Amino acid sequence: MGLKQSLHKMKMKYEGTKMAPAFNAIHTFLYLPNETTHNGTHVKVADDLKRTMNMVIMALVPCLLFGIFNAGYQYNLQTGEVTKALSFFSTEFWNFSNFSIGAWKVLPLVIVSYGVGLLVEFIFAVIKGHEVEEGYLVTGMLVPLIVPVDIPLWMLSVAVVFGVVIGKEVFGGTGMNILNPALTIRAFLFFAYPTWMSGDKVWVTGAVDTVGQPDAISGETILGSLAQNKGFADWSMMDQFLGFIPGSVGETSKLLIIVGALILILSKIGSWRIILSTLVGALSMGLIFNGVVEMGWIDESSKFFGLMNVVFWQHLFIGSILFGAVYMATDPVTASQTNKGKWIYGFLIGFISIMIRVFNPAYPEGVFLAILLMNVFAPTIDHYVVEGNIKKRAKRLKVKTA
Amino acid sequence: MLEHVELFFKSIFVDNMVFAYFLGMCSYLAVSKKVSTAVGLGAAVIFVLTVTVPLNWFLDQYILQPGALAWLDGNRATPELSAYADYDLSFLSFILFIATIATMVQLVEIIVEKFSPSLYNSLGIFLPLIAVNCAILGGSLFMQSREIETAGLALNYGFSSGIGWFLAIVAIAAIREKIRYSNVPAPLRGLGITFIITGLMAIGFMSFGGMLTGGDDAAPSLEGQPEKVGLQLEESIETETAQAAVISE
Repeated sequence: MGLKQSLHKMKMKYEGTKMAPAFNAIHTFLYLPNETTHNGTHVKVADDLKRTMNMVIMALVPCLLFGIFNAGYQYNLQTGEVTKALSFFSTEFWNFSNFSIGAWKVLPLVIVSYGVGLLVEFIFAVIKGHEVEEGYLVTGMLVPLIVPVDIPLWMLSVAVVFGVVIGKEVFGGTGMNILNPALTIRAFLFFAYPTWMSGDKVWVTGAVDTVGQPDAISGETILGSLAQNKGFADWSMMDQFLGFIPGSVGETSKLLIIVGALILILSKIGSWRIILSTLVGALSMGLIFNGVVEMGWIDESSKFFGLMNVVFWQHLFIGSILFGAVYMATDPVTASQTNKGKWIYGFLIGFISIMIRVFNPAYPEGVFLAILLMNVFAPTIDHYVVEGNIKKRAKRLKVKTA
Repeated sequence: MLEHVELFFKSIFVDNMVFAYFLGMCSYLAVSKKVSTAVGLGAAVIFVLTVTVPLNWFLDQYILQPGALAWLDGNRATPELSAYADYDLSFLSFILFIATIATMVQLVEIIVEKFSPSLYNSLGIFLPLIAVNCAILGGSLFMQSREIETAGLALNYGFSSGIGWFLAIVAIAAIREKIRYSNVPAPLRGLGITFIITGLMAIGFMSFGGMLTGGDDAAPSLEGQPEKVGLQLEESIETETAQAAVISE
C-alpha cells in the first residue's frame, strides 16, 4: 500500500495546481482512486476506457514478443547463425541470441513511441487542464509493431509528435479523431521518409548497413519479390502462417494475430463484423484478379502478373492485411458506428487493400492507406445508413397509421 | 471503352479535384457544414462540369487551337492547306471558357430556384459563385492542356471530375457533422480544423497516387546509376549540337 499512499499524498499536494492532471493520471493508471462513492447505486461496468485499452494491449503482446524474436531470427538466419525453423516451437527460433538482437532493436522503438507520445499527451493535458486521456496507450503499442525494425528513432519521434498533435489533439483528444492515429503516424513516415519505409533494404535489421558488401543481408519481403515477378522466394506457406518471414515488427505471425483477434472478439472490444467483412472484401478482390488471369487478359509480360496470379486466399497470409483487419480497422473511434455501416466499411477496406497491393506499383502494401481512406468515408457511410433507417421507419409508420 | 473506364476512375480518385489539386476550395470549405447542402452543391458542380467541359472542348477544337479555324474554308481534315492555318486564338481561352461556365451556372440557378427553393436558400451566394469555382474552370483548362481527344472523353472527364468533387465535399460534410461537438482548441475552431481535416483526407486519398499511371517513374530507387545518367546526358547534348549544326548549315 506504500506506493498507493504516497501517490495519493502527492496528488493531494498538487491538487488544484497546473500539474494535477499528470499526477492524477499516474495514480489512476496504477490503482483504483482513493475517493470512491460509498452510498447510492451506480452503473457498474468493468470495461472503462483504461481497461479496454489494457485488453487491446494484452492482445498485442503476443505479436510484440514474436516480433522481437523474429527480428533477431531474420538477422541470424541470413548471417548463418541459425538454420530455418521448421515448427512453431523450434529452438532455432525461440533462443536467447534471437531475443537479444531483437530486443536491442525493438524495445527502443517501444520506449520512444511511448515516451514521446505520452509526453505530448501530458503537455496537452496540463495546458488544457483536463485529465490525461488513455487513447495513446494502444496507439503507442501499435506504432512499433507497424514500422520496419531499422527505422531511425528520431524519425519515429517526429512522426509520433505529428500523429498525436495533428491526428488527435487538434480534434479535442481521444475519441474525437477522424483518422486512426497509429496509421497517421505510419502514413507520415511513409510519405516523409519513403526510403526507410519501403523497398528491399529495411525489413531485416542490418540490411541497410551491409548494402554492397559480399555478405550483404537482403531485406526483401514476400510482397516485394512477388511484385517483381520473382514468386514467393523460398518462404513456404507454413513460414507465412507462423510468421517466420521478414516484414514490419508485429505483422508477420498470422497465428498470433488470430489469437489476438479471438481475445478482441470474445471481450467484445473488436467488432467481428469489421474483421469478417474486411477478409471477405480482400478475398473477393483476390478472386477477381484470379479471374482476370484465368481469362487470359493479362500474361506474364505484365508487371502486375506476379501479384495477380497469387491464389486468392494466399493474399491473407502475405503482407499486413490480417494485422490491419484485426487491430487497425476495428478501432472503435474511426470505424463506422452502425452495424450495416461496419459491413460496408470493412468490405471496402479489404477490397481496396488488395487493389492497391496489386495495381499500385508505387506502394508495395496498401492496407494502411485503404484503412485511412475508409476512415475518411466512415462518417459518410454512417450518415447514409442512419438516413436509410429513418426513411424505412417513417415508411413503416405510415403503413401502420394508414 | 477501356480508355473511358480508365479516365473515369483516374479523374475521380487519382486526379481528384480537391485532394490532388486543391481546386474549388472556397465553396468546398464554406458549404460543407451539412451533408444535405453539400449534396446539393456537389450535384450542381457535377452538372455544370458535365455540360461545360464538352462545350469548351468544341470551342477549343473549332475556334481556339492553333489552326482550329480551318473548317471555315472547308479544310478541317487538312488544316495546313487552309488560309486560316496560322490563326491561334488560344489567348481567348479564359474569356470563352468563363462565358460558357457563367451561362451554365445561370441555368442551374434558375432550375434550382424553380424546383428546390429550400436548397436554393441554403446554398445562398455559393450557387452563383460556382461560376468562379476553380474546379469548374480547372476542369476545362485541364481538358485543354491534357489534349483530351474526343468529345465523348471530354464528357466523361467533366462528369467524373464532378463526381470526385462531389465525393470530397460529401465526405468532409459528414466528418464536420460528426465533429460538431468535439472539443476542438478554440483557435482552430471553424476553418482551421477544416483545413487540417482536408489535409488528413488527402493523405487517405494518396492511396491512389501513382495507380493507373504506371508509377514506374515515381518509384524511388536506391541504386541509381549516376555514371550512366551522365553518359546519356552527354549523348543527348552531342546529338542536339549536331542537329543544331545541321540546321545552321
